[in-house]
Amino acid sequence: MPRVYYTPDSSLRRPGQLLRQMGRDLLASRELAWRLMVRDISAQYRQSALGLFWAFVPPIAMAVGFTFASQSNIIQPGVTDIPYPAYVMFSTSLWQTFVEAINGPIQAVTIAKPMLARVNFPREAIILAKVGEVIFNFGIKLFLIVALFLVYRISVSWTVILAPVALFHLILLGTLVGTLLSPFGALYQDVAKGMSMVTGFWLLLTPVVFPVPKEGVFGVLVRLNPVTPLLVTTRELATTGVLTQAPAFWIVSGLTIVGLLLTWIAFRMAMPYVIERISA
Amino acid sequence: MTWTPLDEQEFLLENDDRRNNQENDQENDQENERDIVIAVDRVSKKFCRDLKTSLFYGVQDIATELGGGRRKSDRLRKGEFWALKAVSFTLRRGEALGLIGANGAGKSTLLRILSGLIKPDTGSVMVDGRLAPLIALGAGFNPILTGRENIYANMSILGLSTQAIKRRFDDVVDFAELWEAIDAPVQSYSSGMAARLGFACAIHVEPEILLIDEVLAVGDIKFKMKCHQRLKKLRENGTAFILVSHSAHNVMNVCPSSVYLAKGELVAAGRTEAVIRQYETDLCLAGSDEATGVLTLPEKPPHESLGIDIRSICFKDLQGNILPELYTGEPACLSVECHSYVEVEAANLGVMIKSLSGEQDLVLYLTAAADSEPLSLRPGSAEIQLQLPHCGLVPGIYSAKIYLREGVYSFDMVPSFRFKVQSDRTVSRCLFYQPRQWRVVQSTRRMGQSLKAGAFADDSPTP
Repeated sequence: MPRVYYTPDSSLRRPGQLLRQMGRDLLASRELAWRLMVRDISAQYRQSALGLFWAFVPPIAMAVGFTFASQSNIIQPGVTDIPYPAYVMFSTSLWQTFVEAINGPIQAVTIAKPMLARVNFPREAIILAKVGEVIFNFGIKLFLIVALFLVYRISVSWTVILAPVALFHLILLGTLVGTLLSPFGALYQDVAKGMSMVTGFWLLLTPVVFPVPKEGVFGVLVRLNPVTPLLVTTRELATTGVLTQAPAFWIVSGLTIVGLLLTWIAFRMAMPYVIERISA
Repeated sequence: MTWTPLDEQEFLLENDDRRNNQENDQENDQENERDIVIAVDRVSKKFCRDLKTSLFYGVQDIATELGGGRRKSDRLRKGEFWALKAVSFTLRRGEALGLIGANGAGKSTLLRILSGLIKPDTGSVMVDGRLAPLIALGAGFNPILTGRENIYANMSILGLSTQAIKRRFDDVVDFAELWEAIDAPVQSYSSGMAARLGFACAIHVEPEILLIDEVLAVGDIKFKMKCHQRLKKLRENGTAFILVSHSAHNVMNVCPSSVYLAKGELVAAGRTEAVIRQYETDLCLAGSDEATGVLTLPEKPPHESLGIDIRSICFKDLQGNILPELYTGEPACLSVECHSYVEVEAANLGVMIKSLSGEQDLVLYLTAAADSEPLSLRPGSAEIQLQLPHCGLVPGIYSAKIYLREGVYSFDMVPSFRFKVQSDRTVSRCLFYQPRQWRVVQSTRRMGQSLKAGAFADDSPTP
C-alpha cells in the first residue's frame, strides 16, 4: 500500500498522478465489480417470481401493439428491411439495453449511497458492475432475438459476428450519459424523475418502431440523434450486413470513447463532494 | 488555532521506548517519521445545515473542481459552519488513540476524512497503510442474499481479493458464530447476528489502521469480550487504532492516549485519563446554567391538589445551608418541602436519578417504601429529608424525578430536578464513589518468631 495524501486541491492540478490512480483503481475494481454484479443479479432474480419473463415482455408487448397499429393503418411506419414485428422487437431490445445503460449508473449510485458514505472503495466498481449487468440482461434477451430470427426466417449475414462491437458502443454511450448524471442523481431526485421523461421522448427520435426517415425536420432530428447510427448499425450488422450509416457510426463511437474518459475523470472528482452532501 | 498538549512528551512518545536516548536524536526523528501511519495537519471541514443550500454548494464545488479552479475552501459561505477546524495529530504504528467528544464535535467527520471519503477543506492528511473503517459494519449487505454471499460482497468492498476472502472465510464464520445460519438470507438474521457478521468481516480484513466508531456495543456480552480480545491481539500485531466513543470507559480500556474534540476544535490531547477529566469537567459546565440549586414550584390552588403538594426541592449540607451543587463523597441531604391537606400514615417518597452527561441511564432509584421507612405526614407544611452520608455520584449533570405517593395513589410528582455534581478528587474510571478508608495493620509479632514453630511462640497455648 502506498502512502496516500488527502488535500483540498483539485486533482486536475496533478494530471499524471490522477491518471495513474485511475488506472490503479480500474485494475483494483475488477474483482469487486464482478462480485457486485453477481450480488445484484442474484438478488434481482431471487426476489422475482417471474424472473426472466421480464426481459422478454416489453419488446413483445411493443411489437404486438405497433404491429396491430400498422395493420389497421393508424400508423404507417414504411418499409423495413426485415418483417415489421421482428423489426420492432429487435430494435426495442436494443433500445431497452441503451436505456438500461443510462439508468444503471444513476440507480447504482443512488442505491449504493450508504456504502459510498462509509467505505472508500474504487467507485469505478459500481459503474462496471452495472455495465456487466446490462450485458448480462442483453444476453437473456438474445434468446428472444434468436427465436425471433428463427420464426421469421430472417437471413443473417456473416457481419453478425461484428454486431456485438456496435452493441458495445451503444452500451458505452448509455453508460457515458448515465455516469455523467449519476453524481447529480445522488444529490437530486429530479435526475431520476427527469430521466424517464427524457428517455420516453428520446425513443420517439430513434428509429425503433419506424425505419430511418429520409426527409423533413423530423428526419434531420433523427439523424442528429447520436443513438441512431449506433442502433441502426448494430441492427444492420446483425441482419442485412449492408451499412447505411458507417461514417456517422465511427464519429459517434470516437466521441463516445473520448467522452467516456472525460466523464470518468469528472465522476471521480465529483464523488467526494456528493458523498459529503448525502450524509452530512 | 494551535493546541497545547497536556503532556506532549508522553503523547508523542507513547509506545516509543527510545524516549531517553538523547544522543541519537536525528536518527530518532527519522525512525519516528517512518512509524507514522496517519498524520493530520491543520485539517478543517465545513458543512451547511440547510439541505437545499448544501446540495447547491455541492454542485458549485463539483463545478469548480472540474474547472480545476480553487474552491476558496478556507472561507465560509452563507449558512456554513466549521465542523472541524485546524485539527492536527499523528498516529504511529501500533498506537491506539481515543477520539473523545460530545455529539456533533466532529469525530465522525474526522474519521471520514481519514478514510478518504470526503476531502478536507484546508490542511492535509497523510495515510500510510491499509485502512479499514469499522464505521461501516455490513456495508453492502444485501438482505436477500445469504450470509455466505454477503461475506464475499462485503469483504471485497473492504478491499480484499477473492483469494484472500476464501482464505479467511472459515475464520470469519467461526468468529461470527454463524455456522448454522450461513446459508440463510441475511434478512432472516437477528440484528445481533447481522452486526456480528459485519464486525467479523471488518476485523478479518487485517488492516494496518482500524477506525472504530462506536461499534463495540455490538452483540451480547460474550461477543463483546471476544471483540475486545481480538482488538487487543491486532494491536499487539502492530495495528494502529482510532477509537471513537462518547463513553469514557470504553476509550479508557483500550487507548492510552486520546484527543478531545469540541465543536470541531481539538481542545486537548495527551494521556487518556487527563483528557477525559477535562472532557467531563466541560460536560458539567456545559449544562450548568440550568442547574440552579433550588427548585421552587408554584403553589397549587387547593381544589387542584391531590392531598399533598411538593413546594420546593433542594440539596442542603449538614448545617442546613442550601447546596447549589453536590460534591462527590461529601455528605448531602435532599430536602423536599411539601404541604399536606390530609393526614397520611405511610407516604412514600421516590427519587429516580438519571445521568444527563453520560448515556442517560438511571443511576439511582431510592424510595422510602423500599427502605421500609413509612413517612407520616400531618396536615400543614413539612420537610422530608433524604440524608446521604456520602454523595456516591460521580461528577456530571443529573436529573431527578421525584414523586410522592401512598401505595399506588399519587399525590404529586416533579418530572425533573436538575443538579450538578462536582468533585475535588479523582474519580475517573469509577462508575460511583465508594466511601472508604485505608489502613495498614502491622502484625505485632516479629518476623523471626512467626517463622518458628508455633510451640515456641510467646502467645501460643502450651501443650
